[in-house]
Amino acid sequence: MYDSLILLMVLSLFLGCGCWLFFVWGVKKGEFDDLERPKHRMLDDDDEEKGEKK
Amino acid sequence: MSVQPDICFHCGAQIPVGVVVEKQVEGATLRFCCKGCLGAYLLITGAGLSSFYTRRDTEEAGVGSNAYQAGFDDAGLAAFVRHSGHSDSIDVIIDGIRCAACVWLNETFIGRLDGVEQVRVNYATNRANIVYDPSRTTPATLFARISELGYLPRPYTRSAAQESADREQRDLLIRFGTAFFLTMQLMAYSFALYAGYFQGIGHEIKYILQLFSLLVTAPVIFYSGWPFLSGAWRGLKNSAPTMDLLIVIGALSSFLYSIYATFNGGEVYFETAAMIVTLILAGRLLENYAKRRACSGTERLLGLTVGTATRITGEHQEQVAIADIRTGDILLVGAGERFPVDGRIQEGSADVDESPATGEPLPVLKQTGDRLTAGSINLTGTVRIICDHPAADSFVARVARLVEEAQNRRAPIQGLADRIASLFVPGVLLLGLGTFFWQYRLLDNPLETALMTSLAVVLIACPCALGLATPTAIVAGTGAAAAAGVIFKGGDILERLSSITVTVFDKTGTVTCGTPQVQEIRPAPGIDPLELLTLAASVESGSLHPIARAIIGHAAESGAAQRSASGLRTVAGGGVSGMVEDSPVLVGNERFLRECGVPELPENQTTSPGGTMVFVARDGQYAGSIMLSDSLRDEARDVIAYFRKQQVRSLLLSGDRRETVQFTVDALGLEGGTGELTPADKTVRVEQLRAAGETVLMAGDGINDAPALSAADVGCAIAGGTDIAIETSDLVLARPDLSRLVTAHTIARHTMAIVRQNLGWAFIYNLVGIPLAMSGLLTPIYAAAAMALSSLCVVGNSLRLTVKRYV
Repeated sequence: MYDSLILLMVLSLFLGCGCWLFFVWGVKKGEFDDLERPKHRMLDDDDEEKGEKK
Repeated sequence: MSVQPDICFHCGAQIPVGVVVEKQVEGATLRFCCKGCLGAYLLITGAGLSSFYTRRDTEEAGVGSNAYQAGFDDAGLAAFVRHSGHSDSIDVIIDGIRCAACVWLNETFIGRLDGVEQVRVNYATNRANIVYDPSRTTPATLFARISELGYLPRPYTRSAAQESADREQRDLLIRFGTAFFLTMQLMAYSFALYAGYFQGIGHEIKYILQLFSLLVTAPVIFYSGWPFLSGAWRGLKNSAPTMDLLIVIGALSSFLYSIYATFNGGEVYFETAAMIVTLILAGRLLENYAKRRACSGTERLLGLTVGTATRITGEHQEQVAIADIRTGDILLVGAGERFPVDGRIQEGSADVDESPATGEPLPVLKQTGDRLTAGSINLTGTVRIICDHPAADSFVARVARLVEEAQNRRAPIQGLADRIASLFVPGVLLLGLGTFFWQYRLLDNPLETALMTSLAVVLIACPCALGLATPTAIVAGTGAAAAAGVIFKGGDILERLSSITVTVFDKTGTVTCGTPQVQEIRPAPGIDPLELLTLAASVESGSLHPIARAIIGHAAESGAAQRSASGLRTVAGGGVSGMVEDSPVLVGNERFLRECGVPELPENQTTSPGGTMVFVARDGQYAGSIMLSDSLRDEARDVIAYFRKQQVRSLLLSGDRRETVQFTVDALGLEGGTGELTPADKTVRVEQLRAAGETVLMAGDGINDAPALSAADVGCAIAGGTDIAIETSDLVLARPDLSRLVTAHTIARHTMAIVRQNLGWAFIYNLVGIPLAMSGLLTPIYAAAAMALSSLCVVGNSLRLTVKRYV
């Protein structure tokens, strides 16, 4: 009866490990070095034309 | 003249009187403070990026007015370029970035330049990484284009120390991330166990859950908690128990207890062990971020130290690195440049601002044969100098060595948390032993019960609240300080600042403005004072000399209209002559006017110490004089009064003349002052004070203050001061405003009050928890709940610091 439970717990650990590896990869790539700029980046670039018309 | 200060459309700085540049745009008139700003405006709008002006969100003017002067050449920048494959890259600090729109503007603009392949600007550090094709563009072109935009680019190299700090930060982030992820998994098992505790649970399933808990907790303790383990070991080896040891005892005792309980039946404390490590890692991480933010803040305040100089060999001029200058080399130093080495003037004469080196506020005339000190600034004409000492022996280098010596002498100071830990750790261990003894011998409980009860006491006594008490308060405190324009370079500085007993001020540039101000106007009989001011201001209008700027500024304030002057001629160390409305006007010192044949100069008038007289003549007749002196900062008096109220003594140490120092001491109500001190003397004075048991705050801005700044318990530099002072200080005021020192001190005191409250709270938690644990009544579920509650209280209390508005 506990077999399925243990299987699920191990599975969840593996899933979690996948996320963890993804996180470690992100840190090593420097994705967490600048926490300010990215949130502004999405607002940029698309309204350049407006600036030209002004 | 307008009463409302004119604001430059581009840079937002106040437009100095008489230099406004106007531009008609679609019917509206835009006003700029200089051609540079107008050029930048045209460049930005021309590139179709004019939405910058509506996007930006900034309140303060940033880059100084002389920011546009720096020149760049490829030879000098070559050392900063990194090669990879067919493209090169260079790291640049872009000065003047103040908001997200600036970042956007720079990224978009640089990205469109020919040959640029990729550009990324880091908003937090103002650092840009530019990847470009070396066959299509050069670093100097890029730099020139950035400075045309109105920003000041500086090459950036990572020092080994920064490199390792970056690595450490990433390492810490991974350790924290791992701990966080595993603790999440652990909580799922723990909740199942909690439910089992209340509703009943089968032995087998409980055992499985506990085994899984053990599996995920072990890496948290031994991988994520490694910094604490090694720190605790170091502390033990030096027989100085630290905070780390306390954390390790708490985590290890609950971990070992839980392993025992897993295999022998009973409740486990795994989540307590994992939580302690995770939460305290979070505190460390936050503290590190605050520190890095402070470092990049000071990085931005540092100016461009002269990296190269112009050497003359025969008819040939070349740019050489300062380290390559040899004794006897002939160098060319233009107006506005810093002298790179100590030397003598070979040809030419110039007014030299020596205030960074000596503290003397007024420029000194240097002529052929006069000695010059490295670090002082050439204000007027281009001169040729002969190098006396290579850069490694220059005045600045000698001061740098003094700084290093002072830093080496400074013993590390034990923080409050570590002081508490050194008492707490032995106390907790004794309590554990006592419990064991009490349970085993007096109550005759079995050995196992006695052992478990005493372990429970130890783990309850080492709560996370104690570990979180200091870091959270310090992060909140440094954050509040940064918002108020005060940059703390580390958390321990808040602690030291809150307990200072003596403040030592430098004079020039610290309690005074560092630039002369008009004090008094003495017209000759029959001449209107305003007229006198107008004449002087009109003739001085083109000059960069601090006295000229003071007179022009004063004229604008008092409403004296400037008239156009022609035929202006400057004599270094003398004055200026020119024509104002067909009458020749002379403005300068006494000797200059005498040499120009002006009769009837008044006899030596009394001047206050540190003051300078400027004489004015029209049509060859003496018209009056203007007295200037380096005036005290408006806020200096209040700052000193504040410190007196806090029972902190204030002293003045200056390189300036004794009478001037005494005058300042009397005017500000300081408790004492000494003049004519060399940089080494200042250091000795500070060290004497410290030896006498005082905690010393030193505030200064000059090269000559640097050794004393690093010798003091807390060194405070002021923005606009010299680089070396900013670098060697612990605390930087981001604006030249002394009242921020009061803000800094207030924040430091509040932060330490919060830390004490937090520690007090953790102590109360112990007071309740330990008796419960000793009697063996405490169950894991209550221990976990109490721990979460106390941690929340501590974090919430610390956050109060960020809510309060300083400034």
